[in-house]
Amino acid sequence: MGDLLVRNAPFLLAGLRATLALAGWTALFGTILAMPVALLRYLDVPVLGRACAAYIWFIRGTPLLVVLLLCYFALPALFGYHTTASAAALVGFVVFLAAYAAQDMLTGLHSVPRTLLEGGAALGLTRLQVIRLIVVPLGARIAVPALFGQYVRMFKYTSVASALGATELTGSVLLVNGRVFQPLPLLGIAAVVYLVVCLSISMLGRWAQVRLVPGVVGLSPKG
Amino acid sequence: MGYRFDWNPIWHHRDQVLSGLAITIALSIVGLLGALAIGMAVGTAGAARARPLRVFAVLYVEGVRNVPLLLHIYLWFLGFSAIQLPAFLCAALGLSIYSGAYAAELFRTGLTGVPAQQSEAAAALGLRRWTILRKVIYPQAFRAIAPSLASLSSQLVKDSSLASVVAVGELAYEAGAIDADTFRTFEVYATITVLYLLLVTISSHLILRLVPTVGERSHG
Repeated sequence: MGDLLVRNAPFLLAGLRATLALAGWTALFGTILAMPVALLRYLDVPVLGRACAAYIWFIRGTPLLVVLLLCYFALPALFGYHTTASAAALVGFVVFLAAYAAQDMLTGLHSVPRTLLEGGAALGLTRLQVIRLIVVPLGARIAVPALFGQYVRMFKYTSVASALGATELTGSVLLVNGRVFQPLPLLGIAAVVYLVVCLSISMLGRWAQVRLVPGVVGLSPKG
Repeated sequence: MGYRFDWNPIWHHRDQVLSGLAITIALSIVGLLGALAIGMAVGTAGAARARPLRVFAVLYVEGVRNVPLLLHIYLWFLGFSAIQLPAFLCAALGLSIYSGAYAAELFRTGLTGVPAQQSEAAAALGLRRWTILRKVIYPQAFRAIAPSLASLSSQLVKDSSLASVVAVGELAYEAGAIDADTFRTFEVYATITVLYLLLVTISSHLILRLVPTVGERSHG
């Protein structure tokens, strides 16, 4: 097993780097995309709010693998363009994560107590000021734990990119296994790596929660 | 957009679509039953008073749910390839064990949420420990976690698509096969997307309707 590791270490490490990059960019872009979606939903903007609701409903009812297949096969066929496995996977992951993240942000925004909004209005703030100065800062903090839950889930889900033929960690493990056929040690290593990274993201999430979510009276994550 | 829609080939392959749908449903049901069984056992251990049981539950939950489902399926399919389990069983085992960790957390929360007075009152009435669990504690825990069980089951239906990587002929796999046959790429994937949306919506509604009745019947 030592020999197996030494000889394939560079290849497997490249796979791990690809997984980390894929997950990192997905978390970044997914979170950014989720923000306007959650806000448009929260403000119930005519047409756009409805469109965001439909988007969230569609993604939450569709398997990740199918979203990836749509991005890799169906949409390029429909619109006549070419894409690569990792590019299609990244787009699919971002669109997928953003829907779940937007739902979590929306829950966060909704759990800001009404009395705070009324208090803001009583102070003479406009509706937009109330949203910008009270609802968003508090709602975003309430959403932090749920968001980190999504990041952990997304990190595990990057393995699905291997089904499109991307050589991230799982894809690399499968390739090496195809050559040497030592599935147990290879899958074991991958499992440990995923476990360690997922637990680290969870710990980071708890740290962020303690730092960012102050004990505001009447605010709780579940709302 | 120069794409010309042609849905006829999909209609010609409707048998393949339907058999894929049937296998997706079968896999989801088997996976869900397995997940519920594991979830009840591990969740009960997690809510138990004995420390070793709780440690076991934490290790199971954290160890299993932090590893991707795909690896769980490959573990049974490739890792234990010496025992040559059928692909369907590998996928069902992976789904059950993985979703079982999530179910265990739900059951643990549901069980610890039932007030201690409930079991004390039942004990005062002279019920045995096992009867208390079955007639008093479980029904209440079940009802408390019904909404979460509904989302767990719709998650499981969606996750069953990963069985396609080990060539189980469920919806996603059949879609690939039909696509290779007909080259009606967009139509095929659009079709299975709609079917998944339907399945997910129906399954979570079903669970929400079923779970409370399970609880009420045990009361009678």
